[in-house]
Amino acid sequence: MPLVEVHNVVKEYANGEETIRPLDGVSLTVDQGDYVSLMGASGSGKSTLLNLIAGIDQATSGEIVVADTDITKLSRGKLADWRARHIGYVFQTHNLIPVLTAYENVELPLLLLPMSSAERRKRVGIAMEAVDLTSRASHYPRQMSGGQEQRVGIARAIVANPTVVVADEPTGSLDDETTEQILTLLSRINTELGMTLLMVTHDADAGSRARRKIRLERGRLLENGKPVSLVKGQTAQLHTA
Amino acid sequence: MLGQKLLPWDYGVRNLFRRPSRSVLTLGGLTIVVLLVLVVVGFIRGLEKSLAATGNPNVVLVYALSSGADIENSSIPGRSPSLLAASVDGVRRRHGVEYVSPELYLATRITASGMSEDALSQGGMGLVRGVTTAAPLVRDKVQLLEGAWPQSGEVIVGRLAHSKLGAEEEDLAIGQQVSFDGQSWTISGTFVAAGSAFESEIWAPLADLQTALKRQDLSMLAVAMDSPEGVADVDLFCRERIDLELKAVSESGYYAALQKHYKPVRMLGWVVVVLVAGSGIFAGLNTMYGAVVGRVRELATLQALGFRRRAILLTLVQEATLLACAGALVACLIGLLLVDGTAVRFTMGAFMLSVDSVGIAVACGVAALLGVVGALPPAIKAMRLPIVEAIKAI
Repeated sequence: MPLVEVHNVVKEYANGEETIRPLDGVSLTVDQGDYVSLMGASGSGKSTLLNLIAGIDQATSGEIVVADTDITKLSRGKLADWRARHIGYVFQTHNLIPVLTAYENVELPLLLLPMSSAERRKRVGIAMEAVDLTSRASHYPRQMSGGQEQRVGIARAIVANPTVVVADEPTGSLDDETTEQILTLLSRINTELGMTLLMVTHDADAGSRARRKIRLERGRLLENGKPVSLVKGQTAQLHTA
Repeated sequence: MLGQKLLPWDYGVRNLFRRPSRSVLTLGGLTIVVLLVLVVVGFIRGLEKSLAATGNPNVVLVYALSSGADIENSSIPGRSPSLLAASVDGVRRRHGVEYVSPELYLATRITASGMSEDALSQGGMGLVRGVTTAAPLVRDKVQLLEGAWPQSGEVIVGRLAHSKLGAEEEDLAIGQQVSFDGQSWTISGTFVAAGSAFESEIWAPLADLQTALKRQDLSMLAVAMDSPEGVADVDLFCRERIDLELKAVSESGYYAALQKHYKPVRMLGWVVVVLVAGSGIFAGLNTMYGAVVGRVRELATLQALGFRRRAILLTLVQEATLLACAGALVACLIGLLLVDGTAVRFTMGAFMLSVDSVGIAVACGVAALLGVVGALPPAIKAMRLPIVEAIKAI
């Protein structure tokens, strides 16, 4: 049973009088423990697909089932609750809350879950240790380097032990050395913690770290250079407008 | 709204220190708005208190029928007190003393020895009441604060008399001289009267004042009755003795009519409160728009993490309300230290601005309103942006 099932998803939005359709009947499945990279040219819709799976955007039509929940049918409030339980999001620009320390930033998702403060402390400690930033727990984002900020972002994404960790260009704003550190960290999260990871990247080297490499190209969803075989025998397609 | 998971309290508090200069400016603006509200409410409350405290329902004022409600222009025969006391039952008596206070009342230009040229040119119009020792019996709120009851050639001054004259407090200190109607008087004491309009008056011995003014008549009588019902008996006396041409009205009724007279002023005061609060809300809106615009991506991040819009909205309202409450606190402190008790002149005398519980409640209410109403529109606007758009905001 796949962990993530994307069925014939269409995403449209209006740009003036023109209707843009970045996703046009895309289907995809991701299994528990997968490490999937989504690559493609700018504007190909890879981030749109990631955001739909993460529940921060809503599909125009189609079905997205994550851990047995069709998230396209959830109300905005329920979707927020669902995100808190099931999604860990790693942003390209880290998106840490500047007035909170590294520790408090990592703790933030846990405040949405029913757990004691002792349990929260324990989990934050483990997450901070996983990204090797225990010594920086009391530092504010402005006191950290870009790489350290991203590691805090990753700790924040994994701290609640989410169903899926999504990362949108997680190395997009980092130098080569830091990029390597972050990619290694993401691989460890997948292999050592067994977390399912979906990563959007335009960097072929970063994408090659994933076990499954899916490319959005010329309106088609390709896996390892071949069209993806789809659920219910359909062909996954992705059209740029 | 409170049932859902909220952002940490610290988050809202720390955001206030994120841009300290902006927060301080906003705090200053909010403080000024709340202080203005406090001053206007203090004015209204002070005026109300002054007129309310002056009226005693057991006291009847008797003055000339022809003078309308203007006691200053009233002239009644000098024999009126004895005639009234002898004819009306129910006049309060204690130890053989009738509580009937014959009074001569006038508004005149008064100078004090220490008054500056500026004060003399700008003010100087004061209220003088010629009284006997019966006056404090009838005006039972009057208390000698310091000094002694005036003897011949002396006066006692209310604690706000200097305000009415536009003079400094020390100009009317005990031992100083005041001059009016061509005669000098030595100040023998000061008195208070529970915030009533008497506090802006100067009291002189009736006989001395009559001599100085070359008058034998009186302006009015103030008569203390055993009960408020006695007013009707005095009124009947005035109606029967048409030769005296008198009119009776209860003191509380007299000042209630004055309250009514000043109602437009009080209404205007409340309009000012609304206008000041309104302008404060716009200032708050402007500030919060600025604060929220710079945090669109951060707010979207919180949504992406799973915080509901209402929880984030509540945090933004919390921030603005905290700032507004801090403004209210500072304004109330300034109000209590600098505004409360400040004397204000008006035609009937002078009264003190009153920063009381009502004023503070109104000020805090306005501050809370500034916080909530100022924060909601920009917060709602920010929350309406789709997360995927907002998360890319710079």
